[in-house]
Amino acid sequence: MRVGVVGVSCSKFGRRDDVTIQELAYEAVKEALDDAGITQDDVDLSVVGSVNTRGYELMPAVPVNEYCGFAGKGPLRVEAACATGAAAVYTAYTSIASKMADVAIAIGVEKMTEVDTATSLAIGGRAGSYLWEFHQYGTTFPGYYAMHASAHMAKFGTTEKQMAMVAVKAHRNAAKNPKAHFQKEITLEDALNSRVITYPLKLYDCSPISDGSAAAILASEEKIKELGIDDVVWIESVGYASDTANMTRRESFVGLKATVLAAEMAYRRAGIDDPVKQVDIATVHDCFTIAEIMAYEDLEFCRKGEGGKFAESGETDLGGKIPVNTFGGLKAKGHPLAATGVAMVYEIVKQLRGDAGELQVELKNYRGLLHNVGGTGHFAYVMVFRR
Amino acid sequence: MFIESRKLEMLHKIPVVKTEKYWKGLEEGKVYKAVCKNCGEEYYPPRAECLCGGEVEWAEVEGEGVVEAFTTVHTIPAGFEWHKKPYTITIARFGNVRVMGWAENVKVGDRIRIKTDKDETGVWKVYFEVV
Repeated sequence: MRVGVVGVSCSKFGRRDDVTIQELAYEAVKEALDDAGITQDDVDLSVVGSVNTRGYELMPAVPVNEYCGFAGKGPLRVEAACATGAAAVYTAYTSIASKMADVAIAIGVEKMTEVDTATSLAIGGRAGSYLWEFHQYGTTFPGYYAMHASAHMAKFGTTEKQMAMVAVKAHRNAAKNPKAHFQKEITLEDALNSRVITYPLKLYDCSPISDGSAAAILASEEKIKELGIDDVVWIESVGYASDTANMTRRESFVGLKATVLAAEMAYRRAGIDDPVKQVDIATVHDCFTIAEIMAYEDLEFCRKGEGGKFAESGETDLGGKIPVNTFGGLKAKGHPLAATGVAMVYEIVKQLRGDAGELQVELKNYRGLLHNVGGTGHFAYVMVFRR
Repeated sequence: MFIESRKLEMLHKIPVVKTEKYWKGLEEGKVYKAVCKNCGEEYYPPRAECLCGGEVEWAEVEGEGVVEAFTTVHTIPAGFEWHKKPYTITIARFGNVRVMGWAENVKVGDRIRIKTDKDETGVWKVYFEVV
């Protein structure tokens, strides 16, 4: 049974002092329903993805569901840290593939800016195994990735300049994306001279703290015919994996095993053996610049250890062999945790429909790749979309 | 316009009955791992049950370790404000286990020794010293 994406949307990312979590979710829901040309009545199941550990609404699924007009239709609440969005899409996908629903909506929504930065860091620093990590050592979320950066730099000679180049690309693309948190270009010097957050990561190596929402409406092939929708992006394959909660239980710090395993599963199911040639557009999880460099390697865009050089090569820019994060990445568009993975679906669908405007890539395979990581490789989802 | 939420504070009582040996060990300068008597699997952090169903015993993490990753935290999270300056979180390998600890002036590949100490808030933990 094929499952297609029939409606997508994304709110403006950034500091959204103008809306509550349910109002923010509804922005995306309304737009996605319009995009699909359907109403709430056509939807069987709503899946609400929200981490919301920074929010006052501790159980956000129900208020979000009511406000969006889905009372009676679910909701299923999904949480997979920063991969919550992809997990929500996966849940909607499996509910349709297993014929438990004909039409399902995946909503990803996150309000992150209602608490101060030190509190936000203390929450992110708990994204592992609290008693053995944060409690004793004061881990922070940027810190987890910074440890990977230190290992990658030592083993492969990856440089701060190569990481800065990832940031420059992200900002260049985000400057053209009206949904982005930061719509301004930066120079290599800006990035290299920015203050240290957690050595070796500096301010411009890190994604910002953002609010945002996104929605994706999925439907079965049968239902798509019945609704008379003819412009569909299909979910060609899905891969998922996880890794240990404790960093000290990992085998290596120069990559994310969960990404490797999820990619293997997704590539096998889609018949991909050379993603650079077989994919037109990739969205990778660049919560930090080092994360994008490791993703190039773990997703097999280049060999292990060559991610830094691949960033330098320009092959991931618009017009390169495999444009990556043309939307500005998490790094510059923003990373409202649960919204991120769903917003990646929005960005890929827009590209595959040829609706990405100035940021449009050339379509040869009509195939897009999604890579969404939760925590520091605690969860990983890789999905392949095809029009 | 904003409305301020009601304040919510949470302080948890975390049971460490099964790993008491570890926590008491820190106070005696010892860092324990758990080793399965049946399959030989070594656990750090330690756990009282092996996934194979075998019985575990406690063994000290000793000797020299090698630094595999580190970061110096400049932007400090809530709960660690008392530490007025940056601190360095390090992961080092000791044979079959990896251990997290605080260290100063380390780099990847450095050989380090393990010790324990109490921080200003009274929490015992692992510190590393470059050899």
